[in-house]
Amino acid sequence: MKAALAVAATLALATPALAQQRIPVGHLMDNSGATSDVGVPYGQGVADTLAWVNQTRQGVAGRQLNVLGFDYGYQAPRAVSQYQSWTGRERVVAIQGWGTADTEALVRFVNRDRIPFISGSYSAALTDAGGKSGRAGVEASPYNFFFGPSYSDALRGMLRWAADDWKAKGGQGRPKYVHMGGNHPYPNSPKEAGEAMARDLGFEVLPAIQFALTPGDYTSQCLTLKQQGANYAYLGNTAGSNISVLRACQTAGVQVQFMGNVWGMDENAMKAAGAAANGVVFPVRTQVVTGQDAPGMETIRAISRISDPAGTAYRPVHYLAGACAAMLMVEAMDTAAANGGQITGERIQRGFYERTNWVPKGFEGVCTPSTFTNEDHRGTMRVAIYRAVVGGDTSQGSVADLIRAGTMRLEPVTTVELERKRELLGW
Amino acid sequence: MDGTLLFQLALNGLIVGALYGVVAMSFVLIYKASQVVNFAQGEFLLVGAWMCWWFLTEWQLPFVIGFLFTLVFMTLFGIILQVVVLRPLIGEPVISVIMATIGMGIFFQALMKWIFGVFAKPFPPVFTAERVSVLGLEVQTAYLLSLGISLAIMAGFGWFFRYSRHGLAMRATAFDQQVAQSLGISVPRVFAMSWAISAVVSAVAGVTVGMVNGVSSALSFYGIKVFPAVILGGLDSILGAVLGGLIVGVLENLAQYVDSQWLNWGNMYQVAPFYALLLILLIKPYGLFGTKNIERI
Amino acid sequence: MTVMTPAGDFRTSYRADTTIFPTLGSRAALWAGLAVLCFAPLVLDRYFLSLLINVGTLGIAALGLNILVGFTGQISIGHAAFFGFGAFSSAWLHDTFGLPVLLCIPIAGVMTALIGLVFGAPAARLKGLYLAIATLAAQFILEDFFARARWFTGGVAGRLTESPAIGGFALDREETYFYLVLAFVIVMFVAAANLMRTRDGRALVAVRDHYLSAEIMGINLAYYRTLSFGIASFYAGIGGALYAHHLQFVSVEAFNILFSIQFLGMVIIGGLGSIMGSLMGAAFMVALPEVVQSAADAVAGGAIDRALKIGGNISFLREMAIGAAIILFLIFEPDGLARRWKLIKAYWKLYPYSH
Repeated sequence: MKAALAVAATLALATPALAQQRIPVGHLMDNSGATSDVGVPYGQGVADTLAWVNQTRQGVAGRQLNVLGFDYGYQAPRAVSQYQSWTGRERVVAIQGWGTADTEALVRFVNRDRIPFISGSYSAALTDAGGKSGRAGVEASPYNFFFGPSYSDALRGMLRWAADDWKAKGGQGRPKYVHMGGNHPYPNSPKEAGEAMARDLGFEVLPAIQFALTPGDYTSQCLTLKQQGANYAYLGNTAGSNISVLRACQTAGVQVQFMGNVWGMDENAMKAAGAAANGVVFPVRTQVVTGQDAPGMETIRAISRISDPAGTAYRPVHYLAGACAAMLMVEAMDTAAANGGQITGERIQRGFYERTNWVPKGFEGVCTPSTFTNEDHRGTMRVAIYRAVVGGDTSQGSVADLIRAGTMRLEPVTTVELERKRELLGW
Repeated sequence: MDGTLLFQLALNGLIVGALYGVVAMSFVLIYKASQVVNFAQGEFLLVGAWMCWWFLTEWQLPFVIGFLFTLVFMTLFGIILQVVVLRPLIGEPVISVIMATIGMGIFFQALMKWIFGVFAKPFPPVFTAERVSVLGLEVQTAYLLSLGISLAIMAGFGWFFRYSRHGLAMRATAFDQQVAQSLGISVPRVFAMSWAISAVVSAVAGVTVGMVNGVSSALSFYGIKVFPAVILGGLDSILGAVLGGLIVGVLENLAQYVDSQWLNWGNMYQVAPFYALLLILLIKPYGLFGTKNIERI
Repeated sequence: MTVMTPAGDFRTSYRADTTIFPTLGSRAALWAGLAVLCFAPLVLDRYFLSLLINVGTLGIAALGLNILVGFTGQISIGHAAFFGFGAFSSAWLHDTFGLPVLLCIPIAGVMTALIGLVFGAPAARLKGLYLAIATLAAQFILEDFFARARWFTGGVAGRLTESPAIGGFALDREETYFYLVLAFVIVMFVAAANLMRTRDGRALVAVRDHYLSAEIMGINLAYYRTLSFGIASFYAGIGGALYAHHLQFVSVEAFNILFSIQFLGMVIIGGLGSIMGSLMGAAFMVALPEVVQSAADAVAGGAIDRALKIGGNISFLREMAIGAAIILFLIFEPDGLARRWKLIKAYWKLYPYSH
């Protein structure tokens, strides 16, 4: 009896006659947990983009996307449990993910179940698609993708810039570099790679300083930083706790050039930290930020109106990155569905390899070009470095007001194009 | 051995420790008066900080007015909590009361996140000089303000419990509820008053931390840090609470010093107070100034 | 043996007095219930089965806590740490020594029991509030240990593990894992019920009710308090191991203070000192977030949703519901669901004369 049911179910699923059925897509978000300060805008970008695709493009190949959103509060076990529910019940074909801990935990599962997982985690361990890098603890992850440079590559780019910056400032002797972050997979991800690169570039690497992913009082860490005399410090956490460090270090009078990760600084953080955020450099995944002009910004504005019909909300850098990440998945699905094909996980994965220097249609000038191959999932080696410039008091007025008044702005510093070295894959 | 760093960390520890002392005082006040262990003390800080922030930013009130409104609000808040949640639980076993305060803590933490969001929000600048140099260490003016306020509160408590009628009534209730009642002291009113005062004092600490670090849900962790402080000082001693807070503040920073110089583990700042707590519970459970519980059959 | 409990006390032997299921009616209900549960995987879908599995694993751990808190009168705010220890032990044993998972689970329980004894020994000297604070500190210290001990727990990244296998048959789907959990629940609950019938069980209750009298009667307080911690940790370890092999991933983030508080909530809502209450409390705690989620989904898109911004803030609603549930139960039903169930049964038994 049960076998007959199973056969009938399989037949039913295989029939293309159900082409009008919606495409189930999972969407993990952190709206309430430790990284929610950046999880909210990124998740909004993904959700709005997928809703926009449903509205204006009638979904993918005529089928609407059924986006199953879940706020897992940055607790990896909840994400894993939700994943098992999604694969068991709704049978999702792709997942928009978020955090490093849960993404790395799910690598084996998505590999086994063949479901492309586009994460908000840019851990280099996820880029070794073939599993041949030989790096310890890095498994083959052919179904993991992300939009933007990996944390390690972004840090390498900033260290390159820092080395040049030190010479340009006329610094004497070896500059000192320190890694600061929480004890968690996400901040730890680029630690070793960054310290190795720093040594190669001639930095003196100081012992890492730890501070939690939650906001708090980090005066003692700043005093230690000051005493160590660091010149360049990498902030591995998200904006929320970085703000606490920036303010504490400003009070303690620490003179150091802070370098953030892609999630470490944004317009909201600049408003919250005020003058303490002035001068912090960080990588930006897109080619422009809100306020600058590019052909693709028109599309972004249309997407923004999905959740903000009045058009007044300011969209931080993470929103744009979320939109690009969602569009990569959508266009890969388009490729899978071309010529009447099935939209399955495997075909979507192959859809990622279809294009080189890939910018989704309608997003020209916004999304950085990406190239994925079946061995190398490092989409881009380009690190665009911006500097946060804060001129005055940021406590009054919204982010949009402050940017318009010129009190805060994002200033492009430089773009570092790293070589795609084979030996650095997965690290 | 870096002397300057050690000194600065110790000084920072004293300044932060004064804040812990303030929170510990409010905790001990509730315990002394009503025998309730308030696991939601951290949430009092959180609610106070958010309310003050809201008064200052949404209503654009000047700091002093907003602060006073916050204190009034927290008084009502403490009284309502005591009447609604704690009064029905008078006489219940201690586990039930602890769970009730824990439940309150969870409820209010989530409520604050719901109303005010998850982003840390900065306080509008209150002082013209953001920081002041104390013995070579740059300190936020807000911390010095809190140090001043803590001393004032301690003095105020000292006078209150010694010389005022209500203070004496509280001490009498803490000593023996039945005798106090038979002398005409309204025990429920004393309970409500103790909760109100505790809420107000915690709000002061919350506003201070909010001014320095921005208001966020991390404030409620002060309610957990208060346990090492009160155990060290003795659960029913206000002076002990203050000293305990100072010691915990210095201990944290010393642990950070040891960690940064030799161990490089990175987590000693967070976890050292809890090791100290366990140690004290094993060696001297009643703390420095607590009264020993003599059991009579 | 009668079908229902007769009016009046007709038990003539001590053995009859301590029978767990004394009437034909209750035995029939037991077998019928087990039969229904055995058929559940054929009827329910994976979502409900995973909920039931959660109820089972959390129920075992809650029973352990109930033995500690309800029967012995101690307090522990660190139960999640022991649950986590069981989970990590089982995963570590399987990973390092290659033992079959079905063997790892009981060994993990024993390992957790040993850790519980280590923490229980000093705890035996503390009472009431001080014990609560000590266990709170233990929770944070163990959490820190989990985050740092990479060799044991995989550090902050967590550890992947596998599902149990009998012969070559892997129990990796909800339908099959359900039976394993059901078997463990039956064994552990019957063991606890039997424990309470023995001399040791009565000693634990004596320690709770009036420890001075118990000591005077010759019950070694320190021994029984420590033993109680050990038993509670054993149950937590088994529950944790089952949890680990269900999720196939263990990470320190799951075993935080909120989880400890949820265990306490389960015990209080279910009823302190009631074995059946532990399962009821666990079912309540597992069902509560789902109910809140369904309610939020029901009003999604409507005017209430927009006014209160429920949609994005559902996690906060869940936590508020847990906190509010704990407080409301403490105020209105301090003896828990078990007592409410007994009252309902009594009402029907005495109908129409009950008031």
